[in-house]
Amino acid sequence: MRTSVVITGIGMVTPLGKNPLEILRGIEAGRSAAARPANFDATPFACPVCAEIRDFQPQRYLSGSKMIRLMNRDAQLAVAAAHLALTDAGVKPGGVYPPEDIALFGATGLAGLPLAEVVPLIKASADEDGSFDPGRFGQMGLRAISPILSFKILGNMPLCFVSICENIQGPNGIYTPWEGQGAQAVESAIRALECGDAGCALAGGCDVKTHELAFISLEQHGLFASWRQNQTGMVPGEGAVFLVLEAADRAVARGARAYAQVSGFSLRTHQPGASWADTFGEVFKGLNLPPEPLAAMVAAANGDVPAGEDEQQTLSSRKITAPTIIHPKKQAGDLFAAAAGLQIGLAALLVARGGGRVLANCFGHGSEQAAFVLEKP
Amino acid sequence: MKHRVVITGLGLCTPLGRSVKEFWQNLLAGHSGIGRISLFDTSSLPVRIGGEVKNFKPDELLGEFPEAEREKDRKIWLGLDAAAGAIADSQLPRGVLQAAPLFVGVSLETFVLEDVTPIAHAPDAARDFARQVLNQEPRHQLQTPLDRLTQILGDHYGLNHGRYTNCSACAAGAQVIGEAFRRLRDGTAAVALAGASDSTLNPLALGGFSLLQILSTENDRPERACRPFDATRQGTVLAEGAAFVVMETLAHAHQRGARIYAEVLGYGSSLDAYRVTDPEPSGRGAALSMTKAIRDAGLQPENIAGINAHGTGTPKNDVAETLAIKQTLGAHARAIPVTANKSMTGHMIATSGALEAIASAMTLFTQKVSPTINRACPDPQCDLDYVVEGCRNFDGRTVLSNSFGFGGQNASLVFGRLDS
Repeated sequence: MRTSVVITGIGMVTPLGKNPLEILRGIEAGRSAAARPANFDATPFACPVCAEIRDFQPQRYLSGSKMIRLMNRDAQLAVAAAHLALTDAGVKPGGVYPPEDIALFGATGLAGLPLAEVVPLIKASADEDGSFDPGRFGQMGLRAISPILSFKILGNMPLCFVSICENIQGPNGIYTPWEGQGAQAVESAIRALECGDAGCALAGGCDVKTHELAFISLEQHGLFASWRQNQTGMVPGEGAVFLVLEAADRAVARGARAYAQVSGFSLRTHQPGASWADTFGEVFKGLNLPPEPLAAMVAAANGDVPAGEDEQQTLSSRKITAPTIIHPKKQAGDLFAAAAGLQIGLAALLVARGGGRVLANCFGHGSEQAAFVLEKP
Repeated sequence: MKHRVVITGLGLCTPLGRSVKEFWQNLLAGHSGIGRISLFDTSSLPVRIGGEVKNFKPDELLGEFPEAEREKDRKIWLGLDAAAGAIADSQLPRGVLQAAPLFVGVSLETFVLEDVTPIAHAPDAARDFARQVLNQEPRHQLQTPLDRLTQILGDHYGLNHGRYTNCSACAAGAQVIGEAFRRLRDGTAAVALAGASDSTLNPLALGGFSLLQILSTENDRPERACRPFDATRQGTVLAEGAAFVVMETLAHAHQRGARIYAEVLGYGSSLDAYRVTDPEPSGRGAALSMTKAIRDAGLQPENIAGINAHGTGTPKNDVAETLAIKQTLGAHARAIPVTANKSMTGHMIATSGALEAIASAMTLFTQKVSPTINRACPDPQCDLDYVVEGCRNFDGRTVLSNSFGFGGQNASLVFGRLDS
């Protein structure tokens, strides 16, 4: 890496809380956020539980009620986590860093729409036989939806709200829709810092998989297969995580505390026909891990039995181990587009607490798989 | 070491044609691709016009892409068509292509209302919607993830060196080319495939956008409805389409004797941080994006010889962009041509930046700049040279292309002419 990149701020809004250290302690203590969904009946689905944030109040992070009304829950969580990260880092756009010197890279998930907002539209657009009627759609269906629907389904909106709320004006990019895209967001932020395109970057993601439409999509895409076969599996979660990354010299110059330095990362594409273990192996190969043992590892296992076995098999075959291994997704839920931020953020906390080299596995659904290595700056 | 990066393959699927030659001829001739929407019945909607890709039959691509047989989302098919065109045009051997990272821009998920109205119509729809969707025969997927086109393309061509799906709205098409450019320039890869695909010509997307009141409702004269920089402009016109480019390092292109359309010189992106509904009125964010791209190219503002504007035809965008161009280029802004392709193509949202990158490359390659049509009544606030009289010869060596996204994301690219 050409320019050392350090993590100086962590903002987390997760089912296990909003204080990063408390989240880490909760995971280490075996706390779980999995519970039956509060807002819908999960009996049609193979997965009976999700990990929800029960006490989130967006108005604590946003002053304008009009702005809150324009946002879906993903965006509200993103704005809160981004604010917490910047506050934690002591970065105020327009302070040490001009707004245009702060980059914003993030990931968002599948469009999240509460069914309560969609069903009236669909219902009003059906004729007597239940077929779609374009005439009724125009005359009645459109009236059944909010004029601001587009704001809630455009994948870039959560990050745009972050930029508006925090006055971030620098380089940017938004990726979608799985865990690997969250890792790509962090990778892009690192690259922007390395090439001098920005002095500071906010990177992470947000996702909400705790509503009925998300459960339908996860079921339809086969992501609950493990529940069917093993009576256990991935627990869909919700949350947002953002990290403040800075060029190390800039962080030192402003006297910032750095949790960890990004000492390596590796992103690989899962090839059709390859085994997942092979792909994870390629990711680790790309890290060029030195022979010294790791201090800790943030595992990617999310409760899905085959995926967990693949990760374990790869770690064993490559003799990668650590005295401390945590499994955040099993306890906080799988935050999908926000998961990489959570994995890397927790790894940074482990480095800050105990030193050594910490591996964050950012494996997940979709083709893109990644891992990051953090160390003391 | 910084590598020089060039464009060696172009592919598109647009309302003005499905081959680069046809598209470019139509663009230079000032033909409009906007018409009455025929894909579905729009008679009850306030907006009934758009830029459709005419005579486009996904079935005809099944021979090449049988793995996409079940896909209903039109932007997937448009993207496959355009990407296949770019790859064929580049004449890259398949083995070389397999070392390429893939960058794809998209915007909105498509919800197929026809699939779910029978369920919602049932008396107990709200209570039992999920169970009925899951038990429905034939089975319809409610949501198609936005990375579906990326995955099909990646698997089909064996592009296994990073697949990026960018959803930065109207800036996505330019951002993916910018990101690919950066990877090639820093030596991460020697070849990349980048582009975007979008279709908002479906009931929910068209209806949703029409509620935002940013679309022209001049349904009676579709070809005149999109009038960038005109005083009477009323709004933009949605369109569908896809555009892809093959990019490679100059050394790689020379080594294999590739035809080079243009060099990619610089990329910049910025955020308005203003409102999700409107562009920042002074043009600050847009100017920042342009300035960064010019600086990234190692150029001075007076080195820019032409601009392919974002030019949507919305009242607010065109004034803000004009101000931004003047902020960025100073007095030089009045000395160069500024063209708005959307006056003919309509607004393809995610695709626009990629398509306008192709138009910019073709401007440099053919030394002709396409016109901005429909500007009969100049807006005094939009006072640059918008190439309104028809296509024009162009002997400049650089073109700046702008894409400004809904929500305040901006991206600018600088292209240069490469002498043989």
